[in-house]
Amino acid sequence: MAGDAAVPFVEIEALRSREFIPAAKEALSSMIAEQGQSKLIRPVFNWAGRNSLFPLHWGLACCAIEFAAAFGARWDAERFGVVPRSSPRQCDLMIVNGTVTWKVAHKLITLYEQMPEPKWVIAMGNCATGGGPFRTAYSVVPGVDKLVPVDVYIAGCPPRPEAMLDGILRLEDLIRLRKE
Amino acid sequence: MTAAPASSVQWPELLGNSLIALEPLEGTSGRLRFRAADAERVFRAVHDAGFHHLTLVGGIDWVDHREVIYTLWSDERKSYLFLSTDLPADHPSIATATKVWPSANWHEREAWEMVDIHFDGHPDLRHLLMPDGYEFHPLLRSFKLHEPEDLEVKVRHV
Ligand code: SF4
Repeated sequence: MAGDAAVPFVEIEALRSREFIPAAKEALSSMIAEQGQSKLIRPVFNWAGRNSLFPLHWGLACCAIEFAAAFGARWDAERFGVVPRSSPRQCDLMIVNGTVTWKVAHKLITLYEQMPEPKWVIAMGNCATGGGPFRTAYSVVPGVDKLVPVDVYIAGCPPRPEAMLDGILRLEDLIRLRKE
Repeated sequence: MTAAPASSVQWPELLGNSLIALEPLEGTSGRLRFRAADAERVFRAVHDAGFHHLTLVGGIDWVDHREVIYTLWSDERKSYLFLSTDLPADHPSIATATKVWPSANWHEREAWEMVDIHFDGHPDLRHLLMPDGYEFHPLLRSFKLHEPEDLEVKVRHV
């Protein structure tokens, strides 16, 4: 938990489960009374948000294979709390993993707009970052940041699953610093 | 009934003066060049000669003219046949083949989209691979690769 002020200490492990919520509530309300709401609540939200990123399960091109590998048994991105969901309504992270063509561009925007706030976008691979090998092609959007705001870019064609995990961890750093 | 191999079809008798040339092509029953104005009659005659399966409709931009190629397969004759015809570059239009081979539908949409060949009588001639409102025919030789930023300005659909 961020903030300079001392946090009231609760012996969490000693609590019985039915006592946990009242104790946490009491600790929180005393802290809110001392420090004001946003300074306290924001870090809690950021902590929760960055440890349960739900990316949209939306494979676009070859990078989606690496995306899938990152969630397989070998790299297991779920240990960072990253669980792909199938509906944009349940997601707060869009990983654009592949070549975005002009034909699919407005679907991408629709999906992005369907995601509830707060939301983040990772451009995975050279294609999503800047068009990649197809940058001057007649059908390819030269970088998904032309369509939606991008928070983290991951280079590579395709990026290895380690690079994707690194991108997610960097996004977690960004969320940690979020102010409002 | 085992039909005769395609090479035995008497194309000149069948097509009359719609036929321009029959060029032998190895492994197929040749490439049949026909007059674009007689397209519908040629399609029907070729179809009735046993070529029921249309594999591909393709367009080529030869700068001074355009060419349309139809690839056909006959199950009875176990043979391919290529039809081809030339169209003027300033007015490249030909009758649709969808009335004879319904599978021509998407192929013709693609040929129109990519090399700007008009198929008269096509039931639904709109973009296939590119978004609606796309302003170019990108496989024409006159199409220049744009800087990505130019293209972004010119494609106004998002
Ligand atoms: S960056 Fe490379 S691997 Fe990824 S979608 Fe583009 S071409 Fe495929």
